[in-house]
Amino acid sequence: MTETKFRFFTIADYEDEEIWLRKMHNEGLKLVKVIPPGIYTFEECEPEDVIYRMDFSNNEKDAQFISMAQDFGWEFVDKMIGWLYFRKPAEEADGEEQLFSDDESRADMAAHVVKTRLVPVAIIFLCIVVPNLLNAVNGKMSGLSGFFAAVFGILFVIYVYLIVHCGLKLKAIIEENRK
Amino acid sequence: MDQRIRRIYAPMSESGFYILLCLQIPNHGYGIARQVKEMTGGEISIGAGTMYGTLSKMENDGLIVFYGEEDKRKLYVITELGQEVLETELKRIERLYLNSKGEYIHD
Repeated sequence: MTETKFRFFTIADYEDEEIWLRKMHNEGLKLVKVIPPGIYTFEECEPEDVIYRMDFSNNEKDAQFISMAQDFGWEFVDKMIGWLYFRKPAEEADGEEQLFSDDESRADMAAHVVKTRLVPVAIIFLCIVVPNLLNAVNGKMSGLSGFFAAVFGILFVIYVYLIVHCGLKLKAIIEENRK
Repeated sequence: MDQRIRRIYAPMSESGFYILLCLQIPNHGYGIARQVKEMTGGEISIGAGTMYGTLSKMENDGLIVFYGEEDKRKLYVITELGQEVLETELKRIERLYLNSKGEYIHD
C-alpha cells in the first residue's frame, strides 16, 4: 500500500525535511518518491528508526557520489531537482550520522545551495518579477493589465518571502558551522 | 606551494589531514574512512559527503591524483604537492605538540 502526502519545504529546510522523513519511517511509512514541489510517496512498512539525509548536488557528481554513499552504507532513495535522498537504519549508523561529518563541509553544502539555487531565484525576481509588476502597475489598471498586476503582485510576495526566509536560514546554517 | 594552496590547507581540517595522510598509499574513499576510524580508535568518523567533497577538492587542487579503479571504486594517491602540504602540516602539529610540553623550537 502506498500513501501520498503533500508537504512543502523550501531549499533551506532540508534539516527539517530529514527529521520529518525519519518520523514518517518511525510511523511505518518509508519514502519511495519525491516530486516537486512537495509530493511525497510513501510505502507502508514495519515502523523502524531510520535516519534520512539529503545532499544537494549538481548532476555530474551524482553517480559517483551515490556509489560512494552506498559504500558507506547509505541506501539511495530518490532524486528531486538537485536533492539526493539517502537513508540508513539508526542502529547501523554511527550515532546521528550525517553525510557531512564536519562543520566546514556542512557550511560548504549550505553555501552551495545559496550559490546554485538562491542566487538564481533572486536574479529571476529582480529581472522578471519586479519589472513586470512595475509595468503592470503603471499600465491602466483595467482588464488584462489589472490581471497581470495581480499575478505579479502575488509572485512578488511569494518571492520576497522565499528569498528572505531561505536567505536568513541558510546564512544561519553557514554561520553556525563557521563559528 | 602557492599562496592559494597555503591559504586553504595551512592549517588543514582534521578530515583533510587524515585523508591526505592515508593517501600516501593508494586508497578509495570508503577505505580511507575505515582506516581513519581504526587508527583514531573510532574518534574520527568521516561522512560520505565530507569524504567525497574533500577528495574532489584535493584532486582539483593537485594534492592527490586518480590512481586507478578497484571494484568500480576510484583510487587516489598523494602527489608531490600533496606531500609538501602534508609535511608542512606535520611540522605545524609537531610544533604545537612540543610547545604544549613546554619545549622551545630551535632552528
